[in-house]
Amino acid sequence: MNRLLVGALAFALGAIPATAQSLEDLNIQIHGYATQGFLYTTNNNIFTTSSSHGSPAWSEAVVNVGAQPTPKLRVGVQARYFLLGNYGNTITLDWAAADYKVNDKFGIRFGKVKTPTGLFNEVQDIDPSYIWSLLPQGIYPITSRNSLLAHYGGVLYGTLDAKKLGKLEYRAWGGVRVLSEDDGYFLVQKESGSALPNGLTRINEGAAIHWKMPLPGLMIGASNDREMTSTSTLTQVIALPTTTINLTGTEKIDSLNKPNFFGRYEHNKFMVAGEHFRFPVIGAVQFGAPPASAFRVDQQAWFGMASYKVTEKLTAGAYDSQLVNRQSALGPGRYQKDWAISGRYDFNQYLYAKAEQHFVQGTALGYDTTLNPNGLQPNTKLTVLKMGVSF
Amino acid sequence: MKKLLYAFLLAASASIFVVQAKAQVIVIANNSVKATEVSKNDLKDVFTGASTSLGGGSVVPILLKSGTANEEFLQAYIGKNDTAYRAGWRSLVFSGQATMPKSVDGDAAVVEFVSHNAGAVGYISKASPHDGVKVLAIK
Repeated sequence: MNRLLVGALAFALGAIPATAQSLEDLNIQIHGYATQGFLYTTNNNIFTTSSSHGSPAWSEAVVNVGAQPTPKLRVGVQARYFLLGNYGNTITLDWAAADYKVNDKFGIRFGKVKTPTGLFNEVQDIDPSYIWSLLPQGIYPITSRNSLLAHYGGVLYGTLDAKKLGKLEYRAWGGVRVLSEDDGYFLVQKESGSALPNGLTRINEGAAIHWKMPLPGLMIGASNDREMTSTSTLTQVIALPTTTINLTGTEKIDSLNKPNFFGRYEHNKFMVAGEHFRFPVIGAVQFGAPPASAFRVDQQAWFGMASYKVTEKLTAGAYDSQLVNRQSALGPGRYQKDWAISGRYDFNQYLYAKAEQHFVQGTALGYDTTLNPNGLQPNTKLTVLKMGVSF
Repeated sequence: MKKLLYAFLLAASASIFVVQAKAQVIVIANNSVKATEVSKNDLKDVFTGASTSLGGGSVVPILLKSGTANEEFLQAYIGKNDTAYRAGWRSLVFSGQATMPKSVDGDAAVVEFVSHNAGAVGYISKASPHDGVKVLAIK
């Protein structure tokens, strides 16, 4: 069924770019994009694909319908088909929101809305908008992307003119975030026989500031997303030689702050950016009577990136992305370092191709044990090729 | 490998000193727009979706689909080519932050739209007729 829907979506994307124009009478616009990726790794299989043999199991298609009935009011909805290895293969709602912008200083958006954390979260799923095939995975993990992109609730936003000091863009948000049962964060847990059948639902709130400084093109900013304490049902399957035992318990995760600090400078054909992110988790699982079994994660990730528009159609870039889990045991599973070089060629304003080479050290992200039954090698080279069309 | 990447970063940094040519385009606005002049930064904000006001009033940008005036305007005031510029708008559209501005064929269509729609702001070649609209001076 899903493949039929994808086929229909891809056909629509390829066949009707002309309809991307505004439907004037209704003030309605229809946009979309589709991408097909190819992954090849020299060692480990990544993102639950068989990438060491070369894998095309990375497809996305998005349709966006928006309307602006009055100059201050916009409504829109966006649906996505996502497939990456064993992730996704389903159609989900990216966002569906109404937006009322009183003026540049104040607006409100509500419904299922993009969460404006960090430098890229609002656009991390929008492949046509940047050069990279994979954003730095320590901060923008593609296997958890659908969960982290949006929340149910609202966002207040606006821009304050600080005169000679530049402009301050602010965002404040609140609502509920739902991490689905098959989210990438739960992969290791799932492979050990544990599952969160209802996923993880957490109340969140946060704020972000982007300071556009007096030097044109320079922006620095910070954001913090706070997630409240949550408790979810947890199941555990224990396989014994003669039987299996099914346990039901709870997983509790304490409230946590996820701060980002970032900056970007753009001038003519040149862009440079950097970001730091921390993800500290304290939780406990409990089956039956106390005591509960505690666990901790303290991931810190950062990247520096630069890109340059070599010609009208060709852009080249590179980044260094690193992540370390300070609560993890010493060894390759504690960290991930990723040097990437990337190129993007725009054939025209609709069609583009990307190529990217990663030099990955460490195994903290993106790997499963099922598709790597002989264990993980500490280093991997990853080649990514991608084609995309948007309208 | 790292040396190559550092060399790339150095070469990219050199691009900061590239000098732009002055554009042969003018910015026009509906007579309802209060502003008579606009700074380059404010103009960029309006045409990249960062702002929807000029001189205290609401404005709506209109784009040329293609052509020399379009390329010159984008290069001089936005700092991007057409493909990169529209990719920026698509980012806003796909993240639910904006609606894509209307695009029309030719200067005459821009003048026609701007003259008949309150708050409309567009750009055309200096040489094109532009009766019924006001020209905004660029500060």
